[in-house]
This record gives sequence, C-alpha cells and structure tokens, in this order.
Amino acid sequence: MPGVSIRGLHKRYGDVAAVDGLDLDVKPGELVALLGPSGCGKTTTLRVVAGFLAPDSGEVWVGDRCLSSPATVIPPERRRMGMIFQSYALWPHMTVAQNVAYGLRFNGVPRTERDGKVTEMLRVVQLAGYEQRYPGELSGGQQQRVAVARALVVEPEILLLDEPLSNLDASLREEMRFEIRRLHETFGITTLYVTHDQSEAMVISDRVAVLDQGRVAQIGTAEELFERPRTRFVAEFIGKTNLIEGTAERSDTFVRGSLRLRVFDANLTPGPVVLSIRPHQIALGPASLAPPSSAGENVLRATVLRASYLGDAVDYQVQLADGDTVLRVAGPTPPRVRPGDSVRVRIPASACIPLPPDGAIPRVKLSQ
Amino acid sequence: MARELTVTVRPLPSRLEGLDRSAPVWIIAAAALLLLMLLPLAWLGYLSVSGEGGLTLTHYARVFTDARLQKALWNTVVLAFWSALLSLAIGAPMAWLTARTDLPGKRVIRGLVMASFVTPPFLGAFAWVMLAGPNAGYLNKLYRGLTGAETPLLNIFTMPGLIFVVALYTFPYVYIMIVNTLELIASDLEEAASILGASRLWVALTVTLPMVAPAILSGFILSVLQALALFGSPAILALPAGFHTITTQIWALFQYPPKVEMAAAFSVPLLLATALLLFLQKKLLGRRGYAAVGGKGGQRRQIALGPWRQPALLACLAVMACAIFLPYGILAKAAFSRAWAQPLTWDNVTLGNWSFTFLSISTQTAIVNTLELGVLTACVGAGLATLLAYITNRRLIVGYQLLAFLALAPVVIPGVVLAVGLFIAYTRPPFLLYGTLWILFLAYLTKEMPVGYSQSDATFRGIHPELEEAGRILGAGRLRVLGEITAPLARSGIIATWCFIFIGVIRELSASILLFTPNTKVMSVVIFDLKEEGQFGAIAVLGLFMLAVTFLAVVLMQTLLGRDVLGARPSGGSG
Repeated sequence: MPGVSIRGLHKRYGDVAAVDGLDLDVKPGELVALLGPSGCGKTTTLRVVAGFLAPDSGEVWVGDRCLSSPATVIPPERRRMGMIFQSYALWPHMTVAQNVAYGLRFNGVPRTERDGKVTEMLRVVQLAGYEQRYPGELSGGQQQRVAVARALVVEPEILLLDEPLSNLDASLREEMRFEIRRLHETFGITTLYVTHDQSEAMVISDRVAVLDQGRVAQIGTAEELFERPRTRFVAEFIGKTNLIEGTAERSDTFVRGSLRLRVFDANLTPGPVVLSIRPHQIALGPASLAPPSSAGENVLRATVLRASYLGDAVDYQVQLADGDTVLRVAGPTPPRVRPGDSVRVRIPASACIPLPPDGAIPRVKLSQ
Repeated sequence: MARELTVTVRPLPSRLEGLDRSAPVWIIAAAALLLLMLLPLAWLGYLSVSGEGGLTLTHYARVFTDARLQKALWNTVVLAFWSALLSLAIGAPMAWLTARTDLPGKRVIRGLVMASFVTPPFLGAFAWVMLAGPNAGYLNKLYRGLTGAETPLLNIFTMPGLIFVVALYTFPYVYIMIVNTLELIASDLEEAASILGASRLWVALTVTLPMVAPAILSGFILSVLQALALFGSPAILALPAGFHTITTQIWALFQYPPKVEMAAAFSVPLLLATALLLFLQKKLLGRRGYAAVGGKGGQRRQIALGPWRQPALLACLAVMACAIFLPYGILAKAAFSRAWAQPLTWDNVTLGNWSFTFLSISTQTAIVNTLELGVLTACVGAGLATLLAYITNRRLIVGYQLLAFLALAPVVIPGVVLAVGLFIAYTRPPFLLYGTLWILFLAYLTKEMPVGYSQSDATFRGIHPELEEAGRILGAGRLRVLGEITAPLARSGIIATWCFIFIGVIRELSASILLFTPNTKVMSVVIFDLKEEGQFGAIAVLGLFMLAVTFLAVVLMQTLLGRDVLGARPSGGSG
C-alpha cells in the first residue's frame, strides 16, 4: 500500500495560477481531505494526481513510482487509481452490474470471478439486487453508491474523490459521510478527498489540508486546525472566529489602543499581529460579579449590543469598553444578559491565538 | 483492516509509456481536414493572380471592367437584398405567430416550413416555371381561361419572379433564427414590463423586439448569404430571362472555351463578401443575442390573437401554398400526365414518365452515382466530423481552435466557388481526380463539413467529460473509451449527422454542375439537363424521387434526435 507525494506542483491556466507550489504527503492508508473555497486549486490538484492534467512543474509520486512530471505523464488508465466524480459519471447505457464490472477487465481478474466480485461489492454498498437496473432508474444516493462500488471493486492503490457528496440533499449527505468513512476503514485505501465543506472534511478524513491560492495553507487533524490555526485564512475558514488586529508589545502581551490582552504560552516578536479568539471560548457574566483576574485569564468590561437566540446557543455581539472592538460570543442558553447590559468578558489567555498579520501564507514545513 | 492487494510491481515508467497511443488518430484527422480545406482555396487564390509571366492582376481588372460581369454583380446584389427582405417579411411574422400566439395548427405550419427548408430550391424553381411561365404556366392558363385575357398574369422569368422563388425557400432560415430566440425568452421578462404598466403593444416594441433584433438581423444576413450562393434558381429563371448572376456567370465562364482564371478571379470577391457577411452575423449574435436571452427559458404564455386567428392562419397557408402545395402539386401532376400543361383527364394519365425516367441508362447511372456519393460522403463526413468535434471538444491537440475554424470555414464558400477551386486543384498533379466521382466526393465532403461539425459538436457538448474520465481511471485507454463509452452515448447524434450530410449531398447542384463529366452525372445535374430538353415529366419524376429520399432521411433523423430539423424544442414540450 503506497502513499502519495506531491512535490512543488505548479499548474497555470493562461495567466491564472491554479496550483502555485503545492507540497503534500499522504501516508499509506491515510485519508486526506483537500479543503478550500472554489478556485483554491483543489480539483486541479486532484486531476493532476489522476493524470488528466499535466503539471507545469513539480512531480507526483505514488510509492516509488513518479507518475507525473512536466516531462512524462503516465496516462490515467495505467495509474491503478480509482476515482469518484462529482457527477458520479455513471454510464447511462450500461446496467449497474456492467458499470461496476467495467474496470475488472483491465486488472487481470478472470472472467469467471468478475460476477462474484461485482455481487460482493454491491452487497458492501448495500445495493444487492440492483444489478440489472440502469443508472437512470436509481435515486441520487443509490447512484452515488454505484459510483463508489465501481471505484472500489478494482482494488485501486489510490482512491480519489472529487466533491462526491455535493449533489446529494442534506440528510443523505450526512449519512454518506459516515458511509464513506466506514468504507475507508474497511479497505484502508490511501485516499485524497476534495471538498469545500469543512464539516464534511472533518468527519471523513484523518487529516485535512486547507488550500489557499494554490498552496497548502496548513495540514493537520481537524482538532489541530481548529485549535491551532497558523494563518488568518485557516482561522476564518475553519469554524467561526474573532480576528483582532494590533501589535505585540511583549512576548505575551497584545495591544490595540487601550485594549491589552494576555496571550498565553506565545513567543510573540514585537510588531503587528492578529489575534484569533473563538466565540465559544469567551464567557460573559454580569458586571456585578467581578471574578478574580489571574495570569491565565483576561477580564474586560463590555456592553451587549445584540443577542440572537439560536436554539443550542446564543450569539452575542459585545462592544469592549476599552476600545472600539466588537466581539462575537457564543453563550449558553437561556440568555442571561440582554442588549444594553454591562457585562464582564472573560477570555482565557490560551484562547488567544496569534497569527501573522497579513494574508500571507507562511511556508509551513509539513508534518509527516 | 486493509485488504490484501494483488498488484505486481512494475518497473519505473519510461518516457514511452507516457505517450498517448491515440495521438496518431487525432493528427491524421486534423491533417485530412487541413488538406481538404486549404488545397482548393490556395489554388483558387493562386490561379486568380497567375498569368503567362508570373503574378498579375489582369484577371481582376478584366472582371471588374467587363460590363457584362458588372451587370451580373449588380443583379446578384439586387437579388440578394430583395429576396432577403422578402424572407424576413415572411419568416419573422410566421415565427412570432407559431412561437407566441394561439394560432391554430401551429405544428402543421412548422412541419410545412420544415418541408420548405429541405426542398431543393431548384426543384421549386422548376415547379414555378410550370406554374407561372408566361405561356404554358398553369396559373396563367387558369387566369386566361377565367378572364379571357390575352396577356399572362404572371411571368416568372423576371427579376421579381426570381426574387419571389428564392425567398420561398430562404425564409425558413429567418424563421429558424427567430423561433429559436423567441422560445428562449421567458414570458417573465415580458410580464415584468406588463406589471409595471406597459401595454401589450408597448411590451412587444420595447422588450420583445429588442431582444429578437439580433436574430432578425442575423436571419436577414443568412438569407443574403443563401441568395448569393444560389446557382439553381438563377440558372433556371434568370438565364431564360436573359440576365446573369455571379454564380451563373462563373458557370458560363466554365463553358467552352473555359476561362478558368477569369472564373477564379470572379470567385474571390464572392468569397470575401460571404466571409464578411458571416463575420458580421457572428458579431451581431455574439454581442447580446443569446447570452442576454440565456437560460432554458421559463414559462411561456400564449398571446391570444382573438379575431385575427383565422386571417393569420390563412396568411400562413397562403405562403405555404406558394412554397409547398402548388409546386408539389404541379410536380405530381407532371409526373403522372402525358402533357403536363393539359388538364388531368383519364386520357392524359400515364406512368410513362416513370418508366421512361427509370429505364433510361443515364438516369439510372445518375441515381446510382448520387446514392453512392450520398452514402459515401455521409459515412466519411460523419466519421471525420465526429473525430474533429471530439478533438476540439476535449482539446486533444495543440491548435484545436484552428480545426474548429477550418471545419466551419466552408460555410463562407459558395458551392460554385468551391467547385472552381476543386476543379483547379484536382485537374493537375499530384491529384488527378477530375472526371471521377472522387472530385464530387471531395466537393460534397468539404461543403457539408460545417453542418456535420456543428451537429457533432452539439452532440459532444452533451456528453459530460467525466463519463470518459471514469473509464480512463478504471484502466481503459482513450480509444477504447471512445469506442465503448463515448460512441454509444453519441450514437443517435452521429446518425443524425449522417442524415444531415446525406440530405445535403443528394440535392447538391451548384458544385456538381461544374465538376460533373458525362460518366459522373448526379441526379441534380440530370434534372438540370432535362430542362434543356424540355422533359418536364421526367424532371417531375426525378424531383419527387429526390424529395422522397430526402424526407425519408428527415424522418429518420427526427426520430433519433427527438426534435425537428429546425433545431428548436418540439412545441408543447416542457418550458
């Protein structure tokens, strides 16, 4: 079971750099999601890995085979990969069984064993008995399962998925996430999964690579990305956050006007910095109940501007008293403070994540 | 957890392994197209400026100073302008009536317009000779019989007569352009204006008309192009009347003693004029035509004609009477009567025309030639067009845009001009094809390429590339995917392309008339020759036979495409 290694990949369309120096290592048997907004280069990357596009520079390795380089591109049919497409790409003129059996002809499975393999795989994706149907006679979810079966039955070394769930309705999408994760755990195929949906990426993958402007902005587990974002883009793209621009005064102190915040466990170099503070890590309390301030916590005065009841949480906007800063706070229900109330805002120093000030993506060394 | 994989380790890939084995197929197809298009045009251009002692412009000078040729130029301008205007006057209202109103019998009208579209114009011209010739014309005889007048009511052998007949078979171009646009405009756009307080007429003038305007103009230009390129109708109606158009003049220059250089020099301006007009039409449509209209069209609601329903229907039927009922009627009558101009009594009925026509050796040869050429051109043409459309759609080779351009380029080449180019190119080494059916085959292949390419292009646009990629990633090479996945999905589209080309070939006259030799006559040429002999019965028989074959192909195509030849969605279909 080989892994995939993408090194220094560049791909331009005319004047636009779709992929701009992308490095990525997928370990054997790992499922990595390529996550990013449209135009970040995730689908282009996947199509280069599949062999449908030639790289302008850079290489794609699978195990010890170099499959793509500007000089040589092994055609898709000789890559031993499987792919699931956004449109499912089921052939309407073939039955479900014919669709699934198609790839078996090319990887040396004897004719006599093909039917058995197809039946077995359709059972795995819970479509036993649908062999003789045509794709047009199936629901969207069933078509999706046929596409999965067709890609898995050939036992590919690498599995590629291009936004496979984006054509499904919301409830089915949720169900298929777990289904795909289950299949990955059953077969353990090295997998690249392209999506623009962060919760989908977090549920399905072992690690998530967040792509920004054709590069990997950060790669890590869902928890790492959420708790320790390395760039402003990642912090904003994964979950909600408050971003405050200011300057680092000391190695542990952030300043914006008269607002001072203690930043825990950070080695800040003096100069401009952006702080990311997740709304759910901020606590609100009545101004009268002044808690003791400690080194590990920032306590500030604020006024509630707005409170929106969301069912499982209350979304507050509060204006800090010592500056023009407005913070979003996710508080528990039922709401305990109302618009106009003076409150105390408690922000743990460990919840303040310092980030580089501009949109620049630091060249990160990828964790292996 | 991981299943055992049975994968043999292969050696590191060599450079060769990365090569696309299908590349030769694309390159050969591209080269064939390049040769097909460039050879005749290059020769045409070269011969028009070549003289005894090198390059010269004397041919052009003679062409533009010769009073007869100037007259032919002017006649063509007059014919093209007025017939296009008349086409617009017929086609635009009819398009609006059938697309937007509650006119009764819309499907029938649509079907009749389609029949007029596929009717070879020269057959229509023959029919109108029989209907409105000054002496024997059937309508004139009726008129004289009814009124006792001495002078004929109509004389088809005049410029107005020619314009009238040309327009009868050109107006479908305008009709198609406008109907297709009207069907894309959602009623919402019009209703948005109504809700703001605009009256029905005001909405039509300020919303509908401006949106259809590009289609109207480009329909007009298409009609002009049609009239410029036409050979049959002017040859049948203008020559007896004693005047020439450009196309008949080029033909005359080819008669003994042939002046090929003059013909070439005379062809180039016609070529440039068509190219310019087509460019103009593309510009018009590109700027705000369909893009602004866009979308799949929302709901379309019908406009009630009220008391105008019957008069509107009568007007449409009157047009169709001139284009279809009367011509087809007189052809049928001529085919079954001993003397076509006499009343159809029992004494006059005969099947003699049929046996005379089909027993004639030269006619038999021509029918066989035509069908052979039709099938051969349609097979090769559909195959080549399919490959080319596939290459350009999937961007398989560098310079695919040039291929698309070349495949569509013959649209601007009138048949007569193409024939001049082919004649020059293939009467000298290395390609000596004149006198064989092959030169006709090349002419037809070139002439039908735009139609075939557009049709195939539409087919491939409808096939999602991911369907092919899914096959590739599972281990099938590009050619295998083309055969096992793409071709089955494109099948009905390819057969429709075949039919389009076949229909175009069996009715072709303007290129054939310059390229045929006694052994390589085709049906249209035989019909043209029979006119000289005054064999109207035989003309009618052959004409009806040609129409029958054409309609057979049309029906086959409609069945396959699930829509009619006019390209619009079937009326009554989902909005």
